[in-house]
Amino acid sequence: MHFLLPLFQWSDQTWLGETIRNSRIYFPIIETFHLLALTLLFGAVIILNLRLCGIIMKNQPTWQVAQDLAPWAFWSLVVILISGILLFLSEALKCYASTPFQVKMLFLFTAIIYHFTIHRGVSRSDREPARAWGVIVGVVNVLLWLGVGLGGRAIGFL
Amino acid sequence: MSDVPAIIHWMQNSDIGTGIRESIWLFPIVETTHVLALALSVGVLVWFDLRLMGWGMKHEPVSQIHKQVMPFAFVGFTIMILTGVLLFWSEAEKCYLSGFFRLKVLFLVLAALNAGIFELGTKKSIEDWDKYPVPPPKARMAGLISILSWTAVIVAGRATAYNLF
Repeated sequence: MHFLLPLFQWSDQTWLGETIRNSRIYFPIIETFHLLALTLLFGAVIILNLRLCGIIMKNQPTWQVAQDLAPWAFWSLVVILISGILLFLSEALKCYASTPFQVKMLFLFTAIIYHFTIHRGVSRSDREPARAWGVIVGVVNVLLWLGVGLGGRAIGFL
Repeated sequence: MSDVPAIIHWMQNSDIGTGIRESIWLFPIVETTHVLALALSVGVLVWFDLRLMGWGMKHEPVSQIHKQVMPFAFVGFTIMILTGVLLFWSEAEKCYLSGFFRLKVLFLVLAALNAGIFELGTKKSIEDWDKYPVPPPKARMAGLISILSWTAVIVAGRATAYNLF
């Protein structure tokens, strides 16, 4: 037995999880909020990294673009995480058995840590990064978030 | 299902429709591409809309965002429409009979009309807007209608998938 199994079992039995599971409409409604917030965040990720790679808005400093995108992107992430936790509670045991879920969580935690450390350091710096470095840091960021999205979609299908 | 037009019935039962619907991999791949293309196109578009409304990206000139960011949204839209047609093809009867799918098409038309009016008319003075922190009311209205109609498209799309009507 995996040491995390009790956590998944507990999640599955919470009042919130059961309420969502027993309703026909709660899950789709929460999932829609999850998807709307995800769309906003993904848009911000694309725009910021296109700038970081030196493809668009070259007249604006990268840190300025990053700063302007940050508040909306941050609150999107908050909505994504809250709605994601609710969705998880309603099918925690299904998630426990799901390989795509494990892959998604791996990408998610890596993406968040990367986003707020390395990526933030480079995109918020006063000095524009060297072109190649900007491209590498930007592409890695997009790929990480893409992994989260693909893993998430796969939970529903596999 | 008998009360659908012949073309809908034909699509549902054509090789393409049946092939996508019954394939283990094809439907999920087409559907995933559809959602990713949506996140790209609408995700990028919403940021332009927020800028039009004077709510986001205030330090970037609005004309520059339009010129440089919208081509990426356009690529996303093209993929989204292509995969959307394939998804419809595979579930033509379900979609045709779904109230939410009809709503989705309605809001898609609204979003397209709004974009068309903006691109062919409103946009003409876009470079003047760069001088002001907030674009004029007609541009703000275009941004608001765009955000609301695309939100409605996504909500109705999800509701179609769950058969909520």
